Amino acid sequence: MSSTLGLDVRLHQTLPVPLNARFSCAPGELMALVGPSGSGKTTILRAIAGLGRGQTGHVHCDGVDWFDSDAGINLAPQARRAGLVFQDYALFPHLNATQNIAQALGHLPRADRVARARSLLKSVHLAGLEHRRPADLSGGQAQRVALARALARDPAVLLLDEPFSAVDQITRRRLRRELATLRHRLGCATILVTHDLDEALELADRMVVLHRGETLQTGVPAEMLRKPANAIVARLLDQRNLFTAVVAGHEPGLTWIDWAGRRLQSTGRIDLPIGDWVDWMIPAAGVLLHRRDRPSRGERENPVQGRVSKVVSLGETLWITLRVDQTDPSPRRPLEHPLTFSLPEHVARRNDVEVGSSITVSLLADSLHLMTPVTGR
Amino acid sequence: MMLMAAAVGLGFETCRLSADTNTPLVAAAASLRDAMQALVDEFRQSGGGRLNLAFGASGNLYRQLRQGAPFQALFSADESYIDRLAADGVIEDSGQIYALGRLALVMSHRSPVTADPRLMDVSAALDDGRLKRFAIANPVHAPYGQRAREALENLGLWNRIEPRLVVGENVAQTAQFALNGATQGGLVASSLLLAMARQGTIKSALIPQSEYTPLRQKAGLLAGADPAVPAFLAFVLSPRGQSILERYGFDPVRPSAAG
Amino acid sequence: MDWIALRLSLQLSLLTCVLLIPPALWIARRFAWHRFRGRGLAEAVVALPLVLPPTVLGYYLLVALGGESSLGQWYQSLTGNTLVFSFEGLVLASLLFNLPFAVQPMQRAFEGVPVNLREAAWCSGLSNWETFWRIELPLAWPGVVGAIALVFAHTLGEFGVVLMVGGNIPGETRTTAIAIYDQVQSFDIRGAGIMSLVLLGISISAMALVFMTGGRRGQ
Repeated sequence: MSSTLGLDVRLHQTLPVPLNARFSCAPGELMALVGPSGSGKTTILRAIAGLGRGQTGHVHCDGVDWFDSDAGINLAPQARRAGLVFQDYALFPHLNATQNIAQALGHLPRADRVARARSLLKSVHLAGLEHRRPADLSGGQAQRVALARALARDPAVLLLDEPFSAVDQITRRRLRRELATLRHRLGCATILVTHDLDEALELADRMVVLHRGETLQTGVPAEMLRKPANAIVARLLDQRNLFTAVVAGHEPGLTWIDWAGRRLQSTGRIDLPIGDWVDWMIPAAGVLLHRRDRPSRGERENPVQGRVSKVVSLGETLWITLRVDQTDPSPRRPLEHPLTFSLPEHVARRNDVEVGSSITVSLLADSLHLMTPVTGR
Repeated sequence: MMLMAAAVGLGFETCRLSADTNTPLVAAAASLRDAMQALVDEFRQSGGGRLNLAFGASGNLYRQLRQGAPFQALFSADESYIDRLAADGVIEDSGQIYALGRLALVMSHRSPVTADPRLMDVSAALDDGRLKRFAIANPVHAPYGQRAREALENLGLWNRIEPRLVVGENVAQTAQFALNGATQGGLVASSLLLAMARQGTIKSALIPQSEYTPLRQKAGLLAGADPAVPAFLAFVLSPRGQSILERYGFDPVRPSAAG
Repeated sequence: MDWIALRLSLQLSLLTCVLLIPPALWIARRFAWHRFRGRGLAEAVVALPLVLPPTVLGYYLLVALGGESSLGQWYQSLTGNTLVFSFEGLVLASLLFNLPFAVQPMQRAFEGVPVNLREAAWCSGLSNWETFWRIELPLAWPGVVGAIALVFAHTLGEFGVVLMVGGNIPGETRTTAIAIYDQVQSFDIRGAGIMSLVLLGISISAMALVFMTGGRRGQ
């Protein structure tokens, strides 16, 4: 019924996995479906491909109804122009690489199939392996054959189900880079299911965060990391500086909150009355160390003092965990998570940042993001 | 490969259909195993035609016939089954007695029991433990089995010997049992003694006629049988046929040819 | 050496294979991949000939095919012959008592084909038939071969049911197995020995041939 290009998905299901998802993906866009195991990502992918059953809702692609429970439409996978790359590749073990791909080329005249299969293999950098059987291919090579097979039908939507989870770290990085290059050439909408946030950040134009089948937030990954919709999303995106405070005051362009006995300010707006609980988070990049010799006096900087409780070295960067000095701990709330931020190693050294030392940091007001608390957390 | 198999199977089927199904099939009691084959061979050699034979216990053959088995005649081991067929109108007339059967005691020469017409040693062997198992045909289906039971009862052995009986499905199988090492003897048709003797030395004795109802072996022809079949029955009743039966241990019912 | 009996045995085995394997394949595939109500019961019914004594099978077949049954009477009105004591009756009985030997190996083989391979085939545009012919069957082929071998050998050796349903009619239902029994009863031990050896040789060669050509493909 929609006449726009690209993919539009709305799916609802109660059993066996609860699902209430809604998102769209434009042609040429790569959208990541992110969420913990059991959040329904694979179910959604399979439903788009035509392998789902028991859902209500719709799946439109390029103006064609692939699935519409109200209208009773449910096209078979063969009738949909979707290419699915399975998590375990699902290559036909009794056929070689060329034949595997050729199975998806039934729409071409017989004479052209082998040539096209060969050219697809070349495009995924597997020229020379035409006659290898899946048992004789490495994980990365099998992955590429699966990808080539999915692309053989010129799909309108490319669906990737955790495609890199079964290979080693190095191969994974290489495949990611290749995919990043490839998909720009393809021009089809691509949906990537992954639980690896770095992957989503590197590859996705947009991201959908799923939790127990619900789409919690859709947006540009970098944006979502800075401004998650609520505490659940923040946790799913591994944002560690996540706390609860009380709304203290509203001003044009500013909101005041009370936290750990301090009054902090944020440039964000939140529609909550004074005295209500509010969740807030700040990305590690929004926490700045005060130099020992030159304490900062800038505005909108929320200075906070604390004791370093942990220092983790990751090469040239150190991750610092800071226990904030509580000037007025609320007896009813448990102790908060400590603050986490990162420093280049030489800066930490110059400022004598080590476990046990007392330091002051700034929480930048325009990085301090306010969120309405989620009921029943 | 499947197609090949299909072709072969169908080829066979057409061959089969043209081959054997036209030869008339005659059912005969197991006691006639050797005698019948000799009669049929002689009948064919004298230009009477080909006949196929099926053997079994008379009762089983009767049952199969009632269930529709394509027998054109039944040469039973006694009268009862033929009389039943006649009463049901299955056979053309009331049947013909073609021979008299005799019950015989038989054991392998290795058996510790000796043969005598009144089963005296069998009785002794029951008491002193030499006789552990004894073979008879199934009294339910086989006339020779019925007569065996009768004779054992009349000779006063039945109660003692019953727990030791091994029952053969028909009298030919009983002969098998009587000879193999598992039993120490058995009661079989005397017509089978010739074939048994070929297998190894045997000891045998004919049971007196007085101890059991005579085995008046009767034959019945079905309506619409191939003309070769009544011709064969006539041959069996002829002096030549009767002398063959006599050679195999039956008592003739018609005058038999000399030699 | 009863060549007619041998020919009958081979015919029965071949015909059973040809007639039984295709429908059994369909049944095996349905059992493997479709959940339907009563599936457990259906599987149990198919497995019955494995556990029932041949005499029980023979008895029920006689009841179902004999002169008193509607099937038997229909056949008789059609051809003038009885269904029992005929070769056709034997073929019918053989199809039934071989059912588990045909279905079960193939069912295991189909169950061993991962479901996501079929899904990958559908997503690649293959129709249900193409998926069956190009993906499922080649991968399940060793099971099909095993089923054919089993049915062939089992039919060659079947005795109890053949005797009860077929009787012992030479040229019609006297298969090699029956003929051997018959010869032993006729004290023709030598003849029985020859036929037994021939049957043994055929069974072994058939099984070996089938396993050598069909097994281990696609793996």
